[in-house]
Amino acid sequence: MPDLGEPAALTVLTGAGGWFGRAWLRAHAAPQHRHGPVPTGRVRALAGSPGEVTGILEACPGAEVHVGDVVDPEVLQTLFAGAEGAVVVHAAGVIHPRRVDEFARVNVGGTRAVLEQARSAGVRRLVHVSSNSAFGVNPTPTDRFRHEEPFRPYLGYGASKAAAEAEVRAAHDPGTLETVVVRPPWFYGPWQPVRQTTFFTMVAAGRFPVMGSGAQQRSMVHVDNLVQGAALAARVSDVGGDAFWVADARPYPMAEIVRTVAEVLADEGYLVARSRLPGAVPGGRRVPALVARGAERLDRLLQSRGRYQQELHVLGEMDKTIACDIAYTRERLGYEPEVELREGMREAVRWCRQRGIALAPRADGAR
Amino acid sequence: MSSYDVVVVGSGPGGSVTARECARAGLRVLVVEEGERVEPGAVPAYSLEQMRRQYRNQGLTVALGRPPIAYTEAACAGGGSEVNSGLYHRPSAELLDAWSREHAVEALTLPDVEPWLGTVEDRLQVQGRAGELPPASAALARGAERLGWAGLDVPRWAVPGPGHPEKQTMTRTYLADALEAGAELACGSRVDRLDVHDGRVRGVVVAGRTVTSERVVVAAGAVQSPALLQRSGVPVSGRGLAVHPTVKVVAEFAEDVNDPADLATYQVKEFAPALTLGGSASRPSLIALALSERGWSVAGEPREAWRRQQVYYAAIRSRGRGRVRSVPGFRDPVVTYRLTREDLALLRSGLARLMHLLLAAGATRLLPSYAGAMTVTTNADVAPAAAAMTRSRAALMSVHLTGTLPLGERRGGVVDSWGRVRDVTNLWVNDASLLPDAPGINPQGTLMAIAHRNVDRLLRGDG
Repeated sequence: MPDLGEPAALTVLTGAGGWFGRAWLRAHAAPQHRHGPVPTGRVRALAGSPGEVTGILEACPGAEVHVGDVVDPEVLQTLFAGAEGAVVVHAAGVIHPRRVDEFARVNVGGTRAVLEQARSAGVRRLVHVSSNSAFGVNPTPTDRFRHEEPFRPYLGYGASKAAAEAEVRAAHDPGTLETVVVRPPWFYGPWQPVRQTTFFTMVAAGRFPVMGSGAQQRSMVHVDNLVQGAALAARVSDVGGDAFWVADARPYPMAEIVRTVAEVLADEGYLVARSRLPGAVPGGRRVPALVARGAERLDRLLQSRGRYQQELHVLGEMDKTIACDIAYTRERLGYEPEVELREGMREAVRWCRQRGIALAPRADGAR
Repeated sequence: MSSYDVVVVGSGPGGSVTARECARAGLRVLVVEEGERVEPGAVPAYSLEQMRRQYRNQGLTVALGRPPIAYTEAACAGGGSEVNSGLYHRPSAELLDAWSREHAVEALTLPDVEPWLGTVEDRLQVQGRAGELPPASAALARGAERLGWAGLDVPRWAVPGPGHPEKQTMTRTYLADALEAGAELACGSRVDRLDVHDGRVRGVVVAGRTVTSERVVVAAGAVQSPALLQRSGVPVSGRGLAVHPTVKVVAEFAEDVNDPADLATYQVKEFAPALTLGGSASRPSLIALALSERGWSVAGEPREAWRRQQVYYAAIRSRGRGRVRSVPGFRDPVVTYRLTREDLALLRSGLARLMHLLLAAGATRLLPSYAGAMTVTTNADVAPAAAAMTRSRAALMSVHLTGTLPLGERRGGVVDSWGRVRDVTNLWVNDASLLPDAPGINPQGTLMAIAHRNVDRLLRGDG
C-alpha cells in the first residue's frame, strides 16, 4: 500500500453539480469503503449555475457552495480564499456543448485559470479530471491504452482535454503546487445526467444500437470507483506530475454493456423490449458498423464548422474500442475498484427510480 | 543435366532445409537458384550494393494497392537468410493453435514443432547478445524503460566474430551442409515452369530444357512459388498474401547512435503481436534517401550527421490480404495488396507510439516516412503527424511475405498439412508460402522448423 500524506482540512471542488462532482460530494457526506481515503473535512463546491445548487446540497448538505463561471478570475479568487494547504479537485468541464468553441473556453481556459488561482492561493495539490478522449480510440479490440500513451485526441472535446492535461502536468511544481491527473473513461452510476437516462430508455425500448459485432470493448468507470481513484490521487505521496487511468477492473464488450443494462432493468421491474434489442439476444439484429462511420464523418464535418450534435457524436463512437489498462494505477495508487458493471448499473437504475425518473413502463403496470 | 531424386526450386531457408535433409538421406538432390552466389561478407550488409546483387529487381518490388507497399525479396544463394537481420523468435503456442484451427492443419501444435525448433536453433547457433546494447538498440530500450513498455533484445543466429557478431546464413549452414552431403547447386538458373502432366511433375524447365526428377519441391518464396505453380498450369489463386505492413521514422539524437555495421536487435513487444517497434537498417545512403526531399538543415558537421540518425519502424499484423498473379509474357508476377481501414488505424497508432517512445528516448527530431510528413520535435506534434498519414500519403514497406499457399486440410487449399500439392502427387511446397499468416514475429525460425517437419514426412516415404 502506498504512503498516504496528511488529509487536507479543506477540499475545493469545481464542477460540483456534475455527475462525478455530486458523487464525490456524496462520498464526502457518507463515506464508504469503496470510496477509499475520500477527505471528510470542509468542502467548498463550485456550481456552474444556480440551478445546480439544489442537487449539490442534496448530495452533501454541509458543502459551502459557490456559483459562477470557472474561467472567471473573480469567482475563483473567492473560491480559493484561504485555501492554503487545501486540495483542489478540478472536475469542471463541458462534454456536450452547443458550440465547439466552448471546449477550449471552459476545458482549457478554465483549467488554466484554476491552476493559476490555486498556485497563488498556496493550494497543496490539484487533482485534475481528464478523459480517455485525449487518447482517441484503440486500434484493435484487444488493445489497451497504457499509462504512457501519446495524445491522439478524438475531435474537439478530446483536443481540449489533451491540452488541459498537458498544462496540468507541466504545472506540477513540488515546491509550490503538486498536480495529479486522473483519466476516467465512460461513467455510470448514481447522479447520472439526462443523457445516461436516455441511454437506459433506449435500451429498455430495444432501440439502442450495437454496432457491428458488438465485440468492440469499452472501459467504464462507476462513479464511486472514480471517487476512490481521485481520493487516492489527492492523498498518495510522491505521485505529483503523474497521470492515472481510473476505470473498472476490466473493459466490457459493448454487447455485454447493453445486455447487462437490459437485464438489470428487467430485474428491477421494468418492461424491456428484449426481442427488439439489437445484439442483446443471440442472433438479434445488429446495426452495421457503417452507420457509426457515417455518423463519425458527419460529426467531424459539423465540428469543423463549429457545431456540436450530441447524438451524432455518441453514435460515431459506438463502433470503437476505447479501453485502458489500470495496472499502473493499481500499483502506484493502490487503487482497487470495488464496483462492477451489473451491481453499479443496478444502483443507477434504483437511483433513478427513487427520484421518480421514468426509464420504461413498469412490468406491474404501476407508474 | 542428369535426372535427380529431388529438385528443389530456391535455396532460401525452406529450400536449404529441404536440400540438406534429402541429401543426407542419400537422395540425389539438385537445388536450382535464380540468383547468384555471394559469399557472406563480400558485400556490406544493408548496403545499396547488396540490394543490387542479392535482391530481386535490386530491391525495387512493389505490391500495388492504395497505398502501395514496397517489399523486398532476396534473389541469391541462401535467399532471405543472406540479407535479413537474423532475428529469431519461437512461435507462440497460441499462434500455432490458431493456424491449426483456422486452416485445419494436422500436427502443428507447439509440441509437434518444438523438436524441429531445437534442431534449427542448434544449427544456426541462435544466441542472445553478450555485453552492452549498441547505441541504436540502447535508445529503444531506454525509451521503453521510461514508458514502462515491455521489450527485449531479440536473439539472433550469429556467432562471435571479430568486432561484431557474424550472422549465420544458409550458405554458411544448411546449404553448406547440403552441398557437403552431395547436393548440387545451380545458381543463375531460373525455373521457367514445372513440367506437369496427368497429375505428376516430371521435372523443371530451365532455359528451355527439362531437368527430370522423381520429386520437385518448390521453395521460391511467397511470391515466386505461387507464380511458378500458376505458370505451370497448377490451379493456384495466389490470394492470401500476408505481410507485416511497416511504417518508418528517421530519428535524430544529440549523440551518435548509428553503427552501420551493426543493427538494432531490440524490439518493443508491449503491443505484440498486433504491433512491434524496432530498428531498421540505417546505412548512410538509406538515410540520405529518406531525408532527400525533406531538406533537414544540419548545423555544424553535415557530412557526419548520419551518425546521429537512425531509422526505426512500427510493423503491424495486418487484416488485409494480397494476391500474386503471373501474367503471360511478363517475367515477374503482378502483386497486389489491400490494406484495410483497421490496418491503417493500427499503423497510425503504431507510428504515434513509436514517435512517443523515440522522444522519451531523447530523440531531438523525427521524420515519419510518408509523403509530405512534418518534422516532429515535441509530444504535441505526434498526434497531427500520425493523423496526417492518409492512404494517399502513406509510404509503407514490408518484409516477411507469407500466406499464398497455406498448409492445411481446408477445402479448396492447394497444399495439405505437409505442403504436398493435392493435385500433383510428387510435388511439394516448402517455404514461407505455407505459413497461413504473417505471424507478428520474424518468421524465418518458424518456417524452417515447419520445413524440417514437412521434409521429414516426405522422407518417411509417403511421396
